[in-house]
Amino acid sequence: MNTAVRKERTDAAAVLVRRPGPQELHPVRTHRRRRTLELSLALAVPLLLVLLWQLAAAQAWIDDRVYPAPTTILADGWDRAAAGDLWPDVWATLKRVLAGYAIGTASGYALGLLMGSLSLVRAALEPLLDALYVVPKLALLPIFLNMFGLGEGPQVALVAATVFFFVWISTMSAVMSIPAGYRDAGQVFGASSWQMFRHVLLPASLPAVLVGARIAAGVAVLVIVASEQIAAANGLGHLIFDSRALFQNDVMFVGIVCVAVLGVVFSELVRILGRLLTPWAPRDRGRGQS
Amino acid sequence: MRRFACGAVLAAVALLVSAGCAAQDSGDGAGASEPRTIKAVPGCEEGSWTDPADLAADRAPARCAKGTPAPKPLKERRKLTIATGTLSAEYVAPLQVAVAKGEFKKEGLDVTLKVLPTPDALPLLAKGDVDAQWAAPEAAVINGVNSGFDIKWVAGNFSPDPESKSGLWVRLKDGESASRVPMADRKLGTMIGKGSVIAYPMNQALKKHGGGLDKVQFQALGSADVLTALQNGGVDSAWLLDPVWRKVDGDGRYAFLGGQPAGEPLGGMLFGPNLLTDDVDAGVALLRAYIRTINTYFADDYKKDPAFVAELARLMRTDRTVLESTPSLRMDWEIRAGTTNRLQSAYRAAGVSEGDPLPESRLVDRALYGEAVGHRP
Repeated sequence: MNTAVRKERTDAAAVLVRRPGPQELHPVRTHRRRRTLELSLALAVPLLLVLLWQLAAAQAWIDDRVYPAPTTILADGWDRAAAGDLWPDVWATLKRVLAGYAIGTASGYALGLLMGSLSLVRAALEPLLDALYVVPKLALLPIFLNMFGLGEGPQVALVAATVFFFVWISTMSAVMSIPAGYRDAGQVFGASSWQMFRHVLLPASLPAVLVGARIAAGVAVLVIVASEQIAAANGLGHLIFDSRALFQNDVMFVGIVCVAVLGVVFSELVRILGRLLTPWAPRDRGRGQS
Repeated sequence: MRRFACGAVLAAVALLVSAGCAAQDSGDGAGASEPRTIKAVPGCEEGSWTDPADLAADRAPARCAKGTPAPKPLKERRKLTIATGTLSAEYVAPLQVAVAKGEFKKEGLDVTLKVLPTPDALPLLAKGDVDAQWAAPEAAVINGVNSGFDIKWVAGNFSPDPESKSGLWVRLKDGESASRVPMADRKLGTMIGKGSVIAYPMNQALKKHGGGLDKVQFQALGSADVLTALQNGGVDSAWLLDPVWRKVDGDGRYAFLGGQPAGEPLGGMLFGPNLLTDDVDAGVALLRAYIRTINTYFADDYKKDPAFVAELARLMRTDRTVLESTPSLRMDWEIRAGTTNRLQSAYRAAGVSEGDPLPESRLVDRALYGEAVGHRP
């Protein structure tokens, strides 16, 4: 806050005078400047780090055979993309993430609603799901391999299982924390079960559910990369670890950059979708607030 | 705000300019190695060197007399670290035995075997943090040398016994036989990546049956899953290692299509700059101890001796019956001519190598084991 504060002593007593700062005097201009500063920082810090990396590689402060320079990675990524070598892996990972995410979100939301609304169902299932929640999901991969064979099934199931728990927990907790007054109001107006869901439970719980879904989006990408290393013949995770085994470090870094971009884009898409679906919820900018 | 933006732009420009002006390290620091004196070695006469161009499957591997070449302790004791991907595989046994029997110590070497996967060990070998690597000229090594690493293959390890059926196995469909199995478009399960030296014999075996590394679909599997996947139809074919192939040997539903070529080692010792240029004496001493270990303990069918098999099982921390279930390896410290060319062709077919093929002289150095057995070029 740029509010000027000054103590003025009078004969009678000390008086605190709060003068208007730039935020109050020129709110639009101040807000614009602040936004520009935030945007500049968001761009400048990564750019400086990349430049430092480039410099370190060029000056041989780091071994550029092990840590290729950003320009090498960029050139290799461009060549691969232009030759069409990169897209099959990107598409394979994206398909798995989207399929697993859709299944995990739908099932997590449905069960979260059910368990949040019905205490008996919650009593029956919560201990079991709590126990499964703490199991590292990657440890379930051998089981999924046995269940679904060597195709896409294990990968999709692993993402779905990971996403499920994030959405289930946030949904159940959101439904349980809906103030009783909301439900009472619905009942007073004679709302049916569907109307109660449509007009009370859904709008009250959706913001929290979408926060869980957004976290799950990032974790889904994280899990699929680890899983593709173990049991896939394509995908970005396979590309990263395969190129590492072949000592093709530039290719490995191209894969890492692609995963980072995929994670950010997917997470942002979920955030934007959340904002569109819940215009009444407080804005989650996900970055510096202004 | 404006000052911040100006500062950021200036810093970025300064970094770019200095990056652009920076001189790349050419990596040509290694000085030319001095010519070395090679003396005849008692016990290593006829038969201690074979012509590298001899690719006959029945070639007898080079051998010296038992207990030779005799140790020549270094003036100062030297600590060496050898990276190896595993300690429990049979091809690592000569190193384990050399440590256990004190063969390295006799040369004035304190050797430590460190388990490290090849991709992790390569940069350490090139930097000198690891002195040697017990591995193979895999695609990762070729790519590393191609990118400027000073690494060479300086000694072989083994070739399989002619009785061994470790290699490519296929599940036969109706009307198929071992001599008539079309392999194109089949799914091949392997725990070994396409960048492994096994790509070379695998490509050979596939080509004999209308396939090739570029014509089959690979399925990476864990060691425990390869056989299961072959048996339950998850894959059509699989590369089965010792002693797993025993499980399908003799079963008419499966056929053996080929394995590692007889008489041609595909792996062994890799040296980095420490032993290639900085301390060649230590490098020769290390190979002398290794060669002496082979001549003393692994000269022929070493599994005939139950006491030695028991000792090996203890050193490798494996079950003795597992060792006994497969024939002895033919330990062989020599490197055949053209092996790295054939390996690179296979890597190219598998699409895992970069750049132009490297000449053998960039990848292989036979001078060190030659000196250890007193062979004058």
